[in-house]
Amino acid sequence: MAGKRTRLDIIGDMLNSILDKGGKIKPTHLMYKSNLAHTQMKQYLDELMQKGLIRKVKKENSEVIEITDKGCELVKKLREIKEFEAAFGL
Amino acid sequence: MTLYMVKYIYAPQWFYGKDILIDVVSIVVLLLIAFFSIKYYQIKKNKNYIYLTLSFTMLALSFLFKIVMNINIYYKVIETMPLTPVTITYQALKASGNLFISSFLLYWFLTLFGFYILYSIYQKQSRLDFWFGTYLLFMMTFYAYPSYRPFHLTLLILLALITYIHARKYLNQKHYATKLVTYSFGIITLSQVFFNLVDYNNSFYVTAEIIQLIGYLSLLITFIMVLRHGRKEDKAGHHR
Repeated sequence: MAGKRTRLDIIGDMLNSILDKGGKIKPTHLMYKSNLAHTQMKQYLDELMQKGLIRKVKKENSEVIEITDKGCELVKKLREIKEFEAAFGL
Repeated sequence: MTLYMVKYIYAPQWFYGKDILIDVVSIVVLLLIAFFSIKYYQIKKNKNYIYLTLSFTMLALSFLFKIVMNINIYYKVIETMPLTPVTITYQALKASGNLFISSFLLYWFLTLFGFYILYSIYQKQSRLDFWFGTYLLFMMTFYAYPSYRPFHLTLLILLALITYIHARKYLNQKHYATKLVTYSFGIITLSQVFFNLVDYNNSFYVTAEIIQLIGYLSLLITFIMVLRHGRKEDKAGHHR
C-alpha cells in the first residue's frame, strides 16, 4: 500500500494534473484529479499562486488554472528527483 | 634525514600518473552526484540526501588524498633499491614522509567512512551503533597500516553489501536506474577483488584501476540518464 502523500507529493500531483490537461484545467477537475477536499485544495491553490507556480485565467464565463513556467520547472525537478531517488534507493 | 621504508609501488612504471587521472575522473563523478544530491535536498528536505552528499564528498576527498599520496610516491622517490633483476622494487621516500603517511591514512579512512555512510543510509541503525562502527573502521585503518590487505578486504565487503542491497531494491522495484546503479557498484566491487591481488602481480593494479574507472563512468552514465529521463518525461507531458 502506498504511504501518506507528503505536501510536496500533493503539489507534484496537482501540477502534473494541470500538465496532463495541456497546461490548463478547471478547478473542479483539478480537485478530482488530485484527490483533494475543497478546503484543502483552496489552501494549496493559494500557496501555489503565491509562489508563482500557477495562475488563474479567465476563459469565456469560467475561470481556469494555468501552470506557469516556474511551475513547469518544478515538475521537471520533481521528476528528476523521483528518478534519482529510485536510482540510489533513497 | 629520515628515510621511510614504504610498501611496494603497485603500479608498473608505464602506468605512473595514469592512475592519478583515473582518480581525478572518479572525484569529478562523485562531486557531481554530491552537488545534485544537496540541490535536491533543498527541495525534498529528506536527510538521506544530506547523507548521500556527505558519503560522496568523503569519497571524493579520499581520492584527493590518494592523489597526494601517489604524487609523493611517483615524483618524490629519491632512492630505488632493486631486489631482483626484474621489476620489483622497494621505494624510499624523503622527508615528505609525514605528508605521505597522513595522506595514506586519510585516504584509507575516508574511503571506508564514505562507503560506511552509504551503507548506513540503507541499513538503518542507532546513532550509537553508527559511531561504534566508525570507531572500528578508524582503529582498523590505524593498526592495519601499512598492510594494504585489511583495507581492501573491508572495502570489498562493504561494497559487496551495498551492491547486494541495491540488487534487492532492483528486484523489488524493477526500475532501470536502480539496475544501472547496481551494475556500477558491482563493477566498483569487482575492482576491489583485483586490488586485493596486487601483491602477486602489478598488472592486477592496472586491471583494478581500469575496472574502477569503468565503475565510476557507469555511475556517471546512470546519473546522466536519470537527468535526461526526467527531462524527457517533462517534454512528453508538457503541451503548453
